[in-house]
Amino acid sequence: MKTLVLGVGSPFGADRLGWLAIDALRSRLDGAFDLEACDRPGARLLALMRGRERVVIIDAVMGDIGAGSLHCLRPEQLSSSTAPAVHGFGVAEAVALAGVLGELPPELTLIGIGAGRGDAVPNVDWDALAALVQDQPTGANPPGTDYS
Amino acid sequence: MSKREIAINVPVLARVEGEGALDLHISGDRIDQLCLRIYEPPRLFEKFLEGRSYRDIPDMVARICGICPVAYQMSAVHAIEQAFDMDPGPWVRDMRRLFYCGEWLESHALHVHLLAAPDFLGFATAIAMAEKFPDEVRRGLALQELGNAIVRLLGGRSVHPVGARVGGFSYAPRPEAVAALLEKLRAALPDAEALVHWVAKLPVPDDPQEFTCVSLRHPDEYPMNEGRLVSNHGLDLGIRSYRERFSEFHVPHSTALHSTLDGKPYLVGPLARLNLNMDRLPAPVTRNLAETGVHFPSANMFHSALARAVEIHIALLEAIRLLENYRPAEPGIAPTPRAGVGFGCTEAPRGILWHRFEMDERGRVVSTEIVPPTAQNQARIEEDLHRSLLAFGLDHPEDALRSHAETVIRNYDPCISCSTHFLRLNLER
Repeated sequence: MKTLVLGVGSPFGADRLGWLAIDALRSRLDGAFDLEACDRPGARLLALMRGRERVVIIDAVMGDIGAGSLHCLRPEQLSSSTAPAVHGFGVAEAVALAGVLGELPPELTLIGIGAGRGDAVPNVDWDALAALVQDQPTGANPPGTDYS
Repeated sequence: MSKREIAINVPVLARVEGEGALDLHISGDRIDQLCLRIYEPPRLFEKFLEGRSYRDIPDMVARICGICPVAYQMSAVHAIEQAFDMDPGPWVRDMRRLFYCGEWLESHALHVHLLAAPDFLGFATAIAMAEKFPDEVRRGLALQELGNAIVRLLGGRSVHPVGARVGGFSYAPRPEAVAALLEKLRAALPDAEALVHWVAKLPVPDDPQEFTCVSLRHPDEYPMNEGRLVSNHGLDLGIRSYRERFSEFHVPHSTALHSTLDGKPYLVGPLARLNLNMDRLPAPVTRNLAETGVHFPSANMFHSALARAVEIHIALLEAIRLLENYRPAEPGIAPTPRAGVGFGCTEAPRGILWHRFEMDERGRVVSTEIVPPTAQNQARIEEDLHRSLLAFGLDHPEDALRSHAETVIRNYDPCISCSTHFLRLNLER
């Protein structure tokens, strides 16, 4: 079964990083991956993940981390790292709800890209992101590892 | 006994769309000040639509809201088509009604399960509620996804769909896609019926009040895209005459305009629609609702959640009916631009969404007015908050007052982002 890679974002400034990641991964990943850019999907994330063996979610994260840096995150780390969401229901809430309902895919990889400060879109090492999407199983690296 | 002075500040209202706050000043047994403060910056959509071609408008207005883009598209295309004096015909009319069914399903299922039910069942979040009510939450998410699927069928994608255009749609759905969706919709009918019964049993406050309901009314169907403006106090008005009775005005604490009907607050949305259109319900909806023992028209604002569940049932039945009769056809007609003024008013999930477009002879927007439902409900929400908090009792602890106020506001399913031209609670007493 193909791995589903979801790039979550919005049209606003660095929140576009999830979409830009999907664009960048199209030329870097083979047919083993389904790539989809999502505009603040909220609870729809559950439907998108349903039936998948492995899902990778990529989203811009704010915080005291390097702009453009890549981080594997645990679900519980998301509460303070997701962008504003429709009806206050963002990636963190959707993943938490999926967990409560027992609907998380067997393997879920959450990759945060440092959004930096302000609206400018930072430079990202897309090759490093592609390697992370292909090689990095959930939890194999310490959360917060900086891959930049 | 000293007089109790409280100031409650809800700086960011949770689980609503957009940025707003509530300022509440209580002095003893009196509310000195109550402001639903909408501070999200004005978005100026009306101004930057000017000069744009009619071709750009459906995709631009869809960006006003991530929850109800179909509503903005439908009001806009109807207004522009009226200005161009064109009628896209029955196929387009049916598909637009189907498009709207999808949006009602998606928006209402989200509100009932993720926003309203946690309030009435005493959970801080839908996630906490899902631990006790997993099957109900799954059912809600499944209904929401069916709504998304309908919007995708006609719009290419469920968020900010792109299929609608002036004159019709960009394409006609494939029969095999219609058949697959129709099967899923039919299978979900028992879930929609069960949802109505579940919501009818939610422990909502029994708190009847006087308010004016406003909605569209159609000669023979439950209103979505067409109809006259009616109220429970005798209003019966064509949509082009909206400005004769409805007024918008600035208040200092809100970037969204307040609206009144003949100078008084009014309610738009699912409860107003249901109260005014009980005789337009499909027979299975009437039967199922009667079994709950809850009677409409209802003066209990908290029956809004049940009204949403009823409209989920309506939307599902309507979508099934429309898809059972589906035949592929030309997806619309080509517009012939001309100078003129047109009006569109459709029933967004949160209530009537009124548009006025003035177009030039080349089909470019000269000027436009957009009146979203949450802006229209603002004065009504403040009126409801004032009396609901008095009825609840101002001697309750601050946390209880804050929680009750937020429940009252969320009951309206406000879409603050849409309304800005809008919650944090600041309470002082």
